[in-house]
Amino acid sequence: MSDTVYSASPELRRPRLFAAKALADLRASGMIAWRLLYSNLRVRHRRAFLGYLWLLLPAIGTALICNYIQSHRIISIRPTALPYPLFVLSGMILWQCFVDAVNAPLQHLTAGRQLITRSRVPHEAIILAGVMEVLVNAAIRIAVLMLILAFWVPLAPTALLIPVGVLALVLLGLAIGLALAPLGLLYDDVGRVTTLAMAFWFFLTPVIYPLPDSGLLLFNPVAPLLVASRAWLIGRWYGTFGFCIVLGGSIVALILAWLWYRLARPHVVSRLG
Amino acid sequence: MEDVTSFPAGLRVGDTALSVSNLSKKYCGDLKRALFYGLRDIGGELSGRGVRTDALRPGEFWALDDISFEVKRGEALAVIGRNGAGKSTLLRVIYGLLKPDVGQVRIAGRSEAIIELGTGFNPLLTGRENVEVGAALHGLDPDATARLLEMVIDFAELAEFIDAPLMSFSSGMKARLAYSLAAHLGPDLLLVDEALAVGDLAFQHKCIRHMRQFVQRGGSLLLVSHNVQQVQTVCDRAILIERGRIVYEGDVAHTVSRMLEQRPLADASGLADFAANGPVRMGGLSVRSVDGAPVRTGRPVEVTVRYEADAPTEVIWALSIWTEDRWTCIGGTVDPVARRVDAGRGILRCTLPALPLLAGRYIVRATILDASTMYPLAVESARSRECHVDVSTDPDPVTNMLIWANQLVRLDAEWDEPHGTGPDARMERPE
Repeated sequence: MSDTVYSASPELRRPRLFAAKALADLRASGMIAWRLLYSNLRVRHRRAFLGYLWLLLPAIGTALICNYIQSHRIISIRPTALPYPLFVLSGMILWQCFVDAVNAPLQHLTAGRQLITRSRVPHEAIILAGVMEVLVNAAIRIAVLMLILAFWVPLAPTALLIPVGVLALVLLGLAIGLALAPLGLLYDDVGRVTTLAMAFWFFLTPVIYPLPDSGLLLFNPVAPLLVASRAWLIGRWYGTFGFCIVLGGSIVALILAWLWYRLARPHVVSRLG
Repeated sequence: MEDVTSFPAGLRVGDTALSVSNLSKKYCGDLKRALFYGLRDIGGELSGRGVRTDALRPGEFWALDDISFEVKRGEALAVIGRNGAGKSTLLRVIYGLLKPDVGQVRIAGRSEAIIELGTGFNPLLTGRENVEVGAALHGLDPDATARLLEMVIDFAELAEFIDAPLMSFSSGMKARLAYSLAAHLGPDLLLVDEALAVGDLAFQHKCIRHMRQFVQRGGSLLLVSHNVQQVQTVCDRAILIERGRIVYEGDVAHTVSRMLEQRPLADASGLADFAANGPVRMGGLSVRSVDGAPVRTGRPVEVTVRYEADAPTEVIWALSIWTEDRWTCIGGTVDPVARRVDAGRGILRCTLPALPLLAGRYIVRATILDASTMYPLAVESARSRECHVDVSTDPDPVTNMLIWANQLVRLDAEWDEPHGTGPDARMERPE
């Protein structure tokens, strides 16, 4: 028999207890997240005519447009190792993994508002279900990408590392998304700013152009992840050190973002009504 | 927020199951400000020092203000009060959904809650999946989950619908599932918030039976309800909350009666105000027995209404008799003939030849209506001018039995001798 106490004192006063509760919630979240994922997947395309095509349309559309711009020399882009349309397609698909992960926490917590204000379901379960959905989407996209690539270029064994690249992008995106989530639940502006920021960030990331040798872009944490992953597709090693640094940083950032979310949670929930 | 420490095993009835001490929770009426305060509170949390939570900032008010009470094992406590008094906020703090600003809540063991008709369910999941999520939340293994499912479906009587998504459930069905799930997760403390306001009567009875058994077996119950009958059936003790404060605490009957006293007479007060300016005003209402003795069941009584009219008017007047708590109108009568009242003061009178009311205290109200439009001209029911009538009954065993059975009115009937039709006769259904 245990005694449960809810008090007004700040959680960080008892850091060990705070960490223990966080881990307990995380453990309980796995099974719930599976259930939520299952239902999310079942209902998400219920009202969409194009269904799973939506996963690929943005990447394919961007690839076609960029190809037109590049082939008509409207913008000059340095030669790429992959044929240019495939270069853009693979870049876009990797970028989308990142963006989806940034958006997932806020999107799913907002949708689960009733649940988080009226039940004790750990928020981690809702977020985890969102992340799992991002990974499912990524798997479908990557599978299609591989099929398309295999048709044009010989796939290298290093392409098997792509899931690691996707995971790194998702971890980084999730850390950012989770850090923004408490503020996003309070203020709608945060969601809008995030959308806008993602558009700007896209242009500052070597998605539709190769990584330049110098400049601001080298400080963009997405760049090493995306560039290294894309290089693996054709059997090249590129910027592996940078990749590992960003991956390590993302994991640390994710843990910090998670703890920050847990600290902010009670104050957010009491203002969600 | 939640502190799990070891607790001496072997709790007995009479041990404290829930203790709420000096609990306060504040809210801000202005949304923009509330969000800003939210940011500041998060900042305070992050620093580990916290911000001062025991003082109000501009725009804030105490939704709960210094609430302290205890619930023992095997006890049911009702939380009553008007809408917006803070009852649901209290329940959410106790359930751990909201963090207190001052004070603390201590629960021995596990609590489960039914809050707002099962809105804590995921509408996209089926009934079965929602139960499974609940089970997962309690760390139940697959076997235990299967057993739980069986019990929940059986109790909620939802076997046909359990595989439909929850959004297709009616509110009554959701309430049934919510109650059934919370009740079967084996809580030590059960928090029930207006969950039985919907749903069919049979299920409400089932829940009430369940709650009583739960308490008898040593469980503790906190029931928030508007249904006075329900509260009195299930709980022994009650607290009355008003504007976030406990204003009365005691046995359930007294607390309910205290709440009813404060209940505004919404139906009549507006009319009474209006009627004060009408062409006919009522000056008083009295009920007395014809022979001047105390009012008794079955004897004739005379009801007299004094009026003052500004101009000659055709009126119809009516009487109604209410229970003392003003919730139930037992009956009434309307003068079938329009009467002409002249300008000036006068009296309207009627006689009830055999008062059907059984012993008790009642309220008599009178209404004077305009005969052509049936619009009320004067209403005698503003509380200050209400007419109480105390009825006594000549003691006899049959009448005592009626009173004991909570009956308010005795009906006169003519009783026939039994008509036997012989041993072969069968019961015939009336067509």
